Amino acid sequence: MLDWLKNINKEYPEFWKSYSSKFDKKSSRYVILSTETTGLNPEKDVILSLGAFAVKDNAVHIGDNFESYLTQYKFLHDNGLTNEFMMESTIKKSSEPQAIQSFIEYIENAILVGHHIDFDVAIINEALERMGCGRLKNEALDVDVMHRKLNDISDKETSLDTLCELYHVPISDRNSAADDAYKTALLFLKLKSKLKIK
Amino acid sequence: MNSIAEQIADFLKEYAPFNFLTFEELSNIATNIRVVNLEKNKSLFQINDALHDSFYVVAQGVINLSVIADAEETLLNKCAPGDIFGLRPFFAKNNYMMTAKAREESLVYAIPIATFRPFVANNSEVLNYLLESFAVNTRNPKDKENLIGKLISDNVFYSDQQSEMQYFQSLNYNTSPLVTNRNCSIKEVALLMTESLKDNALVVENSWPIGIVTDCDMRSKVATGRYELHTPITSIMSSPVITVVENISLAEAQLVMLKNNVTHLCVTQDGTDKSAIKGIISEHDLIAAQANNAGVLIKEIKRAQNPKELKQIRNRVTDLIQSSISKNIPLSHVFNITSEINLAIIKRSVELSILDSGSPPARFAWLSIGSQGRKEQLLRTDQDSIIVFEDVAPEKYRDVKDYFLRLGKKTTATLEKIGFDYCPNGHMGSNILWCKSLTDWIKQYDNWMNTPGENSNDLSSIFFDYEITFGEQKIEDAISDTIFKNAKNNALFYDFLGNDALRKNSPLTFFKNFNLEEDGPNKDKFDIKTKALMPLIDGARLFTLSFDIRGINNTFQRFKQLSLTDSKHAEIYLNCAEAFLTLSKFRTLEGLKNDNDGQFINLEELSKIDREKLKNALAPMRELEELIKSKFQLTQFS
Repeated sequence: MLDWLKNINKEYPEFWKSYSSKFDKKSSRYVILSTETTGLNPEKDVILSLGAFAVKDNAVHIGDNFESYLTQYKFLHDNGLTNEFMMESTIKKSSEPQAIQSFIEYIENAILVGHHIDFDVAIINEALERMGCGRLKNEALDVDVMHRKLNDISDKETSLDTLCELYHVPISDRNSAADDAYKTALLFLKLKSKLKIK
Repeated sequence: MNSIAEQIADFLKEYAPFNFLTFEELSNIATNIRVVNLEKNKSLFQINDALHDSFYVVAQGVINLSVIADAEETLLNKCAPGDIFGLRPFFAKNNYMMTAKAREESLVYAIPIATFRPFVANNSEVLNYLLESFAVNTRNPKDKENLIGKLISDNVFYSDQQSEMQYFQSLNYNTSPLVTNRNCSIKEVALLMTESLKDNALVVENSWPIGIVTDCDMRSKVATGRYELHTPITSIMSSPVITVVENISLAEAQLVMLKNNVTHLCVTQDGTDKSAIKGIISEHDLIAAQANNAGVLIKEIKRAQNPKELKQIRNRVTDLIQSSISKNIPLSHVFNITSEINLAIIKRSVELSILDSGSPPARFAWLSIGSQGRKEQLLRTDQDSIIVFEDVAPEKYRDVKDYFLRLGKKTTATLEKIGFDYCPNGHMGSNILWCKSLTDWIKQYDNWMNTPGENSNDLSSIFFDYEITFGEQKIEDAISDTIFKNAKNNALFYDFLGNDALRKNSPLTFFKNFNLEEDGPNKDKFDIKTKALMPLIDGARLFTLSFDIRGINNTFQRFKQLSLTDSKHAEIYLNCAEAFLTLSKFRTLEGLKNDNDGQFINLEELSKIDREKLKNALAPMRELEELIKSKFQLTQFS
């Protein structure tokens, strides 16, 4: 509760300061993100990949995207896990601090959107804490919550695939953070216009 | 790194003009794409909107492109996934000349012109494709198949053929008329006309038309010797020329010709004789345009070689129906024409199957049942059919039945390709139950009619509406004989049919509101098929059977005939006949609007007047119900 007191004199990394300074204005940019993680516990698990797309003026901007694969050597080693597929593939990989830093620089003050976004935000916050940064300041929207609001459902959770089916979002056979982010982005566009959010 | 851009590139590379580019180029383009979601009926751009900075590719769904001609919205094109549209910003500076609207929920890729332009400049194939796309005038559906991909015209649409079935259609005319100047002599002009095989020539001054010479002038003024061959053409030309605007419709052109008693109309830029010439419309063009009628279609059907051709023809029929209805041509007439065309299509499908699998080993009849049997199929609803073949020696029976089952499978598959869905209840000639010998069929009908209710699961009243499509007329007659023989004084059977007719839920609630669907995907819509049309259809069938009226399968005509036969209740029958037409019209319009079978009507989209009309059309049903109840003592099954 008094966290902010503890941190009041703390020196943050440069990128975090510049990120924090961007919140004077409200953004009209939405960043739709999805994470791939080792599990469902934000404190114990880590991010394996991040995918994100920006929505501006009711359109997904394919070029305004973020995609990163994290090495997570330490986590994998500590838990006796291997991720050979990742390691051997030719995709560009980065360490967690690098990836999170570029992600923070990418999102700026945009409104974050995701499927069960709370979890994504929580696990990113954990990573930020390890880097000596504060918590994400962005507003966050959850497509599942939007779906519940649209249909007056109280608290039943719906999976991303089911939502895609319900709203006729084309489902690709590939499965990655970027794919999920793209699907969520389309879902978000549809829900947004159905809920008449400007 | 952007894996989605690669996926989009992967999608694009299947379609022209993107197939001319390398995958890398496409990935590059894809990173600049914006993905736009369009709700149903939302427009992307409208006529006269300022140009966007991008053109579009349909990713999912259907986008309708339309223009306004004769103060009416005319559909130019339906864009399916992979089609490009909105090319105007590439080539022109003025505003959009058409409206792009989502017919269903759709996704489109917006490709910025700035990104794409370098590829156009460096790649002549792409440029040519785009130019062709943009400039192509004829939207003849037949051409469409021949082109590399689908070209979506964006430019001049009025001389197109897109809806060639429409009476209020645009015209194809000669856009490079023969022109001469006032100094030419009669002889020179006559030579010119003969050379270019034209029956007319325009006399032009400052590129404005000042007169016209036709074969008729040559005959009446020159050949008769009234003018010498060397006199200037101006002495025999008709002046002033009757001029019209570019986007004139067939009907209008006809009126102008009749009014002015001329055979040629000059098309000019602004429709007066003080502007540049755009072309000439001759009487022949009008006749040619009108030749696209049902007769021609049937001829084309007879010549069609594969399901694809038949499908195209059926698509044009849909246009015909749509325009006929909007022009208030009596629906009974439309029913007749459409059913004849459908009949021809089914017949051709059977023929194609026979060509494929060899001549049949026995005589047979392909009967259409259900809505096509009643000649009431306007929309492409599901197909229902049965096969009856003549009795053969027992040892041959298996082979013969095998042959006809195969025939049934082939034909129904063809029809499915044309757009007639399979019957969900399997009432088709490809079903082992509904493909059998005449004796078996007679037994089947005997069973149904003498012991109704016992095996009622597979008794569907649609088996009593049938129409021979292909094969032996005698077989159909034999079936009719059986039915009417069994129907005579068969109280039990009428009891069953009567109850079947009355079982449907009433269309109006106690408070005279519409009885809407309570749940399911069509919640809050009105089921016009089951709640309004079926009771009328069932009623008409019941009465015609009981009055022994043969050979009339159409619900409308059945009611008309009933009003003559049973003149005591003529008024009720006539009301029902009218109501049936009104309701069918509602259903057809709904179906055309949504490209489905129109079973469910969204009342909120109807105007208040239409809602009242619909409600009034439901009134005669009550009287018919009462009549059924009083005529047939419905006790056994109620």
